[in-house]
Amino acid sequence: MFDLVVKYLSFLKSIPLFALIYDSILKLNTLISDPLKLAWYDEIEEEVLKWNGTSISLHKFGGTQFNYHQKELGHLHSNGILDVLFNKKIKQKLIDDGRAKEHHVFKKSGWISLYIKDRADVKNAIALLFIAYKSYKK
Amino acid sequence: MNALINRKTLGFIIPNIVILPIIGINKLFNASSGGILVFSEFVILPILIGIMSAWFWKNDKLSGKTLIWNSIINGFIAILLSFLFLGEGAICLIIVSPLIFVFVITGAFIGKMMFKRGNQRLNVSFVSLLMAIFIVDSVSEHHYENMVSDEVIIKASPEKIWKNVVAFEKIEQPNHYWLFQIGMPSPIQTTVTDYKNGAGRKCIFSNGYIFDEKIVQFEINKNLTFDIVNQPKDPEIMGHIDIDRGQFLLKDNGNGTTTLIGNSWYKLHVFPIWYYDIWAESITRNVHLRVMNHIKTLSEK
Repeated sequence: MFDLVVKYLSFLKSIPLFALIYDSILKLNTLISDPLKLAWYDEIEEEVLKWNGTSISLHKFGGTQFNYHQKELGHLHSNGILDVLFNKKIKQKLIDDGRAKEHHVFKKSGWISLYIKDRADVKNAIALLFIAYKSYKK
Repeated sequence: MNALINRKTLGFIIPNIVILPIIGINKLFNASSGGILVFSEFVILPILIGIMSAWFWKNDKLSGKTLIWNSIINGFIAILLSFLFLGEGAICLIIVSPLIFVFVITGAFIGKMMFKRGNQRLNVSFVSLLMAIFIVDSVSEHHYENMVSDEVIIKASPEKIWKNVVAFEKIEQPNHYWLFQIGMPSPIQTTVTDYKNGAGRKCIFSNGYIFDEKIVQFEINKNLTFDIVNQPKDPEIMGHIDIDRGQFLLKDNGNGTTTLIGNSWYKLHVFPIWYYDIWAESITRNVHLRVMNHIKTLSEK
């Protein structure tokens, strides 16, 4: 459903607040179907905010965006998809290692997606964001 | 500790106390235009409730789950206050609730980020922009009309169906549409003063509501069109929608069956259309089908 909306209804993101509202629907759905995930999102957020120079904001396509100063490290949609930006070399390595998947929409970009489904994915999500953080810090 | 508890509680009380009179005043000013409820009342104001509550909770480090639950509670309070003080009906509030919950949650998370960044100028600009949209929307002209059409195939000739179209006896079949099952009035009977153009017609609903109609086209076995000249106004959905005209068309299929087409034209007094027209179409469609399936049953006997 989420992929269909992003793929075919992406024009709706130009409507002010649409993406945020859609993300609120995802939040409600997660609260009903898998409330534990919401605690995992908080854990990721808390961990990233411990790193120097990081902040969070609302992502333009909905969800929580993680920043290092003014640069985006990645963002977490409320259905549990974490998107992180890397260069293509690191991206390929992470996919080869089975730690991430191609981005759910932009397959040819440096973006990767991680589908947070269980506790182990939370650790992996934090690790991926930390790799992105370290590469920006260099 | 006390201050913390108070702040938490204030996050539920203050936003609703601020917003409720705004809706009341807006409703009062819009009374001359048929009590139109504009989109900002269901979108901008719930977002503002969320933002205001987030300000009260900004130091509480609420988890995402708690913030969502608190927003749902805030939505419930807003709905309850609308029921108690603004005279809105229960079914109407069930229809509006998903919209309220989603926008209060959106506002709460916008507020969370706003107060985390602490950019006061940006925050004031954003809230001012929302208020400006609300004011412009409130004073703007709102008008929306739509038509819903449905078809039923009946195994009978137009001649046999026609008399059941003009008037019919009480519908005894149980309701299957969930809104009718929880108490929304559904049509049960139609009476007519005469079988000719200009005659009066009454559509009686399950709770005793009567829609007074006047036949404006009476082409025997083909076309019955009627204008609704008087309809009840109540706090439920019927106060927010005006049915202007109804029509039944009969088309002989030449194989012993007839296509019965039911058309209704209505005006909506609640916005945003992208949300409420889905409900209006669904309700109108189910009113059609309740009547048309009854006509089918009577005609196929």
